[in-house]
Amino acid sequence: MTRPVAVLVAVVAAAAWVVVAWLLLPSVVPDGLQLPPVDVDAVFGAEVVDRAEDYERLYLVLWPLSVVALLATLWLYAKRGAAFARESAGGPIATGMLLGMLGLACVWLSQLPFDLVSFWWARRHDLFEGGYLEWAFGSYFELGATFLWICLAILIVMGLARWLGDRWWLPAAVAVAAIGALLTFASPYLIELDTEPLSAELRSTAETFERRQGVDGITYREEVVSDQTPLANAYAIGFGPSKLVVLWDTLLDGRFSDGAVDVVLAHEIGHHSGKHLLKGIAWFALFALPCAWVLMRLTRRRGGMARAEAVPLALLVVAVLQLALAPAQAWVSRRMEAEADWKALQTTRDPRGARELFVGFASTSLGDPSPPAWSQAFLGSHPTLEDRVAMADAWAARTSGADAP
Amino acid sequence: MESPAEIDGTPPIRLVVSDDLGRSRATVCFRLLLAIPHLLWVSIWGLLALLVAVVMWFAILFTARSPRGLHDFVARFLRYATHVNAYVFLAANPFPGFAGDPGTYPVDLEIEGPTRQSRLKALFRIVLALPALLLASALSGPGSAGAFNGYVLTVLATVAFLGWFAALVRARMPEGLRDLGTYAIGYGAQTTGYVLLLTDRYPDSSPARVRPAQALPAHPVRLSLADELRRSRFVTLFRLLLAFPHLVWVSLWSVPATVAVVIGWVATLVTGRLPQALHRFLAAYVRYWSHLTLFLTLVGGPFPGFTGAPGRYPVDIEIDPAMQQGRWSVLFRGVLAIPALMIAGALSAVLFVVAVLGWLAALVLGRMPHGLRDIGATSTRYQAQAYAYLALLTPRYPYSCPAVAAPPEPVEEESPFALPPEPEPSAA
Repeated sequence: MTRPVAVLVAVVAAAAWVVVAWLLLPSVVPDGLQLPPVDVDAVFGAEVVDRAEDYERLYLVLWPLSVVALLATLWLYAKRGAAFARESAGGPIATGMLLGMLGLACVWLSQLPFDLVSFWWARRHDLFEGGYLEWAFGSYFELGATFLWICLAILIVMGLARWLGDRWWLPAAVAVAAIGALLTFASPYLIELDTEPLSAELRSTAETFERRQGVDGITYREEVVSDQTPLANAYAIGFGPSKLVVLWDTLLDGRFSDGAVDVVLAHEIGHHSGKHLLKGIAWFALFALPCAWVLMRLTRRRGGMARAEAVPLALLVVAVLQLALAPAQAWVSRRMEAEADWKALQTTRDPRGARELFVGFASTSLGDPSPPAWSQAFLGSHPTLEDRVAMADAWAARTSGADAP
Repeated sequence: MESPAEIDGTPPIRLVVSDDLGRSRATVCFRLLLAIPHLLWVSIWGLLALLVAVVMWFAILFTARSPRGLHDFVARFLRYATHVNAYVFLAANPFPGFAGDPGTYPVDLEIEGPTRQSRLKALFRIVLALPALLLASALSGPGSAGAFNGYVLTVLATVAFLGWFAALVRARMPEGLRDLGTYAIGYGAQTTGYVLLLTDRYPDSSPARVRPAQALPAHPVRLSLADELRRSRFVTLFRLLLAFPHLVWVSLWSVPATVAVVIGWVATLVTGRLPQALHRFLAAYVRYWSHLTLFLTLVGGPFPGFTGAPGRYPVDIEIDPAMQQGRWSVLFRGVLAIPALMIAGALSAVLFVVAVLGWLAALVLGRMPHGLRDIGATSTRYQAQAYAYLALLTPRYPYSCPAVAAPPEPVEEESPFALPPEPEPSAA
């Protein structure tokens, strides 16, 4: 390919990328919605805010340190990790898998002290009830599950790289996104095995909300987590016939009013009616494409992804790319969560319930209502609790023309 | 568990086998009942030996040596217990005497006199003996001190159970079974001698320790051992997790392999030979399964490949090409394989212990103990032979002798369970 043609292809590809991203952006949240100021101490209670800030403060220190440890570990592994190839009796792909898994094992070891401190901190604040041994075993076997994923990813990437040479990045990004879509579609069926049906009363409410949001065919389940944590949560997963909404039993233990629970239900249904799961996959594919290309270019110095020796460097590149893209990914996530919040308000027409829910999260989950901007930029997958309360107030103001409750 | 290469001189407790494999059907039939007086006597003597061992323990702590009289008393007990074990578990034929005299029984122990022992090792003897006791319990049951035990899942009990039927039918104990049984008895005796302070030399689990050296006949499914014992501590630490993708892959591969065995069974019944393509496919599966077992149990060092390619793994399984098979043997292969699968199952417990102990040892030492590696390798070899036999890769019955290397002269093994293979059709 000559240089002008390559430039033309790159420009067309970039334009296509922008167009797709632009198509994914629309939201039902009104453009230019002005969020009213919220007196955090008054709304959430000064004591709760102090506790939440105190709780979050440790993480604000731990996270940068853990990122430094992660990058330092992967940098060292990128330099020295290829020596572990002598521990493999397999071919290049099996050796690549071994190097990938050992790289993750190094990362796991480097993150272990931070995870341990985090667990201790959460236990100290009564947010987790498990023991240290249980935590250690759980963490170890979670690593095993991660090993499976890295092996699958390396099988795809190295297999394609050995077959297609430097052109592997395009089909590999598509394949990885396709696997993500498959998992999103299939995992609800597995989750259903380990959860219970939601009560008939809540299902009836949910069906009403479904009609209001113009969506149907969602399954509703309740997940028992109260023996492990008092944290309250809910999530939506699946698409097409596998659409699922799961509410943790901690959300239904009486600490939240019926109105607040209804807002949660409507919020999760909003993810399905807004096709957020599919959009999430599309965003993932959009990010994966340039990342795969960058990976291809940077691993050339180790002979390319067809060689197992490139895997340690590839791990470092992926970690750096993830860190670099974290603000963009968090922004996309926050945008979809804000849309689900808005849909919930439109559906329930109960800003008071929404307010109660978000204020309740601050005390039950010790979430800082107004975290520092940098941490929200990198880690905030949801709008801040302050912004969510402000959105409820803004919706109430727009709807009634009156002041917020 | 030390390497023979590191051990100076001969071990202080040695099993010597001079059994001729002949068995009296009448005594085999009533073996357990006939052994009752011995079982009573060995229990009483065992209690006394335990008390004497306590006295020896104090003596060693103070003088670094056990008194000759006490040592001889315990040694005689251990020898007698070995005779009884061999009799009960059909490793020998004659009714043993009650005195444990040396040189009077075909499965005998040579035990050296009292020597200087380390006080520190004596002080912590029970703790130090735990790994050996764990392996001995998988081989010969928790009562490896000599008393009969009914722990049917052990290697020794499985050997005796199968040997009982074979000896009743043929008036002869199959050599491979006898060798596996004597190995288990010998390791149990070493462990008991260590616990009872007859020696401070740690029990050696290498099958090469039995005298005379056990013979390993030529077999179409063989072990190839080129392992250097070095183990990366880091890879060892995550060994189980690293095997996860392999466990997924072997589960997936098992489905077509099972189908291939069924198709191969029909094809072999018709043609008398497993089709080449199926043989290749199933041989790769058996080899891959073995590589995975070797990796998981630390008997093999490196991470294995996913294809079961031959010659890639330092502890490899070599499988000969497809050969003519007797149709009757093929027809009843599933039934004929049951005894071999029972032994393979018992050896799984040994492999589990090898994995646990090997993991700890490799993590601390950065190398796999020689003896553990060897018994793990021969156990895997037997399992590969059993699965290869079941999968029609070979008409030869698995050979249970735990020897690692083949002797210079091939010895033809007679299997008590396999029907004789049909002769190769002669060329016209």
